[in-house]
Amino acid sequence: METTDSLPVAASAAHPAAGGARLRWRRRFQALKPYLFLLPALGLLCFWCYKPLVQTLSLALCRWTMVPGTQPEFVGLSNFVRLLSNKDFWPAVGNTVFYTVGMLPFSVGIPLFLAVATQDIDPRAKQVFRALFFIPMIMAPVATSTIFQWLCTPTTGLLNMLCAWLGVSELGASFFTDPDLARWIILIISGWKMMGFSTILLSAALTSINGEYYEAARLDGAGAFRRFKDITLPMISSTVMLLVMMSILFSTQWTFAYIDVLTQGGPYGMSTNIYYLMYNFAFSDMNVGLSAAAAIMFMAVFGVIALALNRLNRKLVFFDN
Amino acid sequence: MSTASSLTTRAPRHMGRMLARALKYALLLFMAFIAVFPLYWLVVSSLKDVGEIFSPTLIPLRPTLENYADAHERIPIARMLLNSVVVSAAVTVCQLVTSVLLAYSLMRWDFKGKGVVYGVLSLTWLIPFQAIMVPNYVQVNSWGLKGNLMAIILPFMASAFASISMYQSFNAFPRALLDAARLENKSELGILIDIVLPNMASTIASLAILLFINSWNEYMWPVLVVNGMETAPIQIGLKSFMGSDTNLWGSLMAATTISCIPIFVLYLFMQRRIVDSFMKWGIK
Repeated sequence: METTDSLPVAASAAHPAAGGARLRWRRRFQALKPYLFLLPALGLLCFWCYKPLVQTLSLALCRWTMVPGTQPEFVGLSNFVRLLSNKDFWPAVGNTVFYTVGMLPFSVGIPLFLAVATQDIDPRAKQVFRALFFIPMIMAPVATSTIFQWLCTPTTGLLNMLCAWLGVSELGASFFTDPDLARWIILIISGWKMMGFSTILLSAALTSINGEYYEAARLDGAGAFRRFKDITLPMISSTVMLLVMMSILFSTQWTFAYIDVLTQGGPYGMSTNIYYLMYNFAFSDMNVGLSAAAAIMFMAVFGVIALALNRLNRKLVFFDN
Repeated sequence: MSTASSLTTRAPRHMGRMLARALKYALLLFMAFIAVFPLYWLVVSSLKDVGEIFSPTLIPLRPTLENYADAHERIPIARMLLNSVVVSAAVTVCQLVTSVLLAYSLMRWDFKGKGVVYGVLSLTWLIPFQAIMVPNYVQVNSWGLKGNLMAIILPFMASAFASISMYQSFNAFPRALLDAARLENKSELGILIDIVLPNMASTIASLAILLFINSWNEYMWPVLVVNGMETAPIQIGLKSFMGSDTNLWGSLMAATTISCIPIFVLYLFMQRRIVDSFMKWGIK
């Protein structure tokens, strides 16, 4: 408005038509303003997130090796057919399920037990433990990987020495190249990173429960188990469901960096997951079509899971208003 | 009679409670040990000399900095740290600017398509990195940016995470202050800069720390577009150092320690704020 106000009155009186056009233009600009503020964020997201997604969708129908100067060649749905018959595909799916299910105790189960068990400790002690528990969360995946590789290195690693000292195993156990152990160790490292964060989150949810509910239940003669089942669980159900959803939807993503740095999916693909397989298809085998087909397929799978979990969330979660 | 029985039962009950308390603390200490010990072992190993690195001593007998010197000689660690600082700072600033503008728009105006905006932002959660990596890689390469720090920064200039977090915080901003500013005939950018930002400074700082940490730790995208040690952020440098020779454990631990220092320093001074903001906004 400020420019319109400062316009010489005579000028707008002399050219009423021009003033009207200017005003209309201003009004249009006013209406555009909200979108102008949105533009940088949304424009960048569209360019770096949605545009490539559409490209991946079309690459899933093509054969291409990313060689500069060559064009993707349309092959229809054959990538999906080849994906389902790929020898590495089903083991990777199996491992993805293994990691997803295996993460749940670390991201929900153990933290829930820890948070409930230590609910009534001194608040100052709680602050100290909170600070310590949180540390794995801010560690970089690569740094975490180097530390655990050193801890678990054959013969000279601390874990090996400990196992040998306890008589559990020989000194030479090589955790990352053992076909049975590799995926367990990847799971444990990913779990180590998540556990403290979940515990803190659940602990905070517990602290926020109104103490009067417990008082009332106690007066009604409800035992400890009843109180847990009928008060604690419903009151923290939204946090629990949030952690369950996050864990299920993202554990495949969380394990990715450890797989890449520590085992490269090996030995014999025993520790790979579906996302790492896509990565290998694209950047080791230069088979972009196959990678894109897997990406689209699993985006759909995880999308359906997210939808289902969202439904479940609405049904199960109790909201205390 | 009744007093006597209550006296006899009180003692064991008290004992039981003490025991339960001790157990709780033991459990917590054990968990804290698991969380912190790998880091302790990292720092301790980095300070051990060649003769001691393979022995399980908990405190270095002859503490030395030779591993740090060795790591410094083998990889351009200062350069990689600088790269990481540049990338993380640029990403943080860009995401803050884009998300502040977006959050202001959503808070300030009611307009058509608000729901669409929110949908576009939240749906990005379901797009895995692997579903966009190839086209983005091709895009960056076609601009000739492979091996350039810009290649790491560009795709991260805006993020749905920053935008949604910022919007959630802006939503709590008192409307009365906005209306007062409008009466003063201030421009929108003026309102944003003079009134909204000063009031939101603390929240924005918290989010900035979170974004910086996320960017510092980023691995998947940089590893694709980095080309040589000199242009690598520290995480990528660490990864290639790790792959180069498996027996340089002392130097590798020294390099890893250095890569963690900036984050640790932040955490040391702003521990409470960092934990709180992670809890408020969740993880990426």
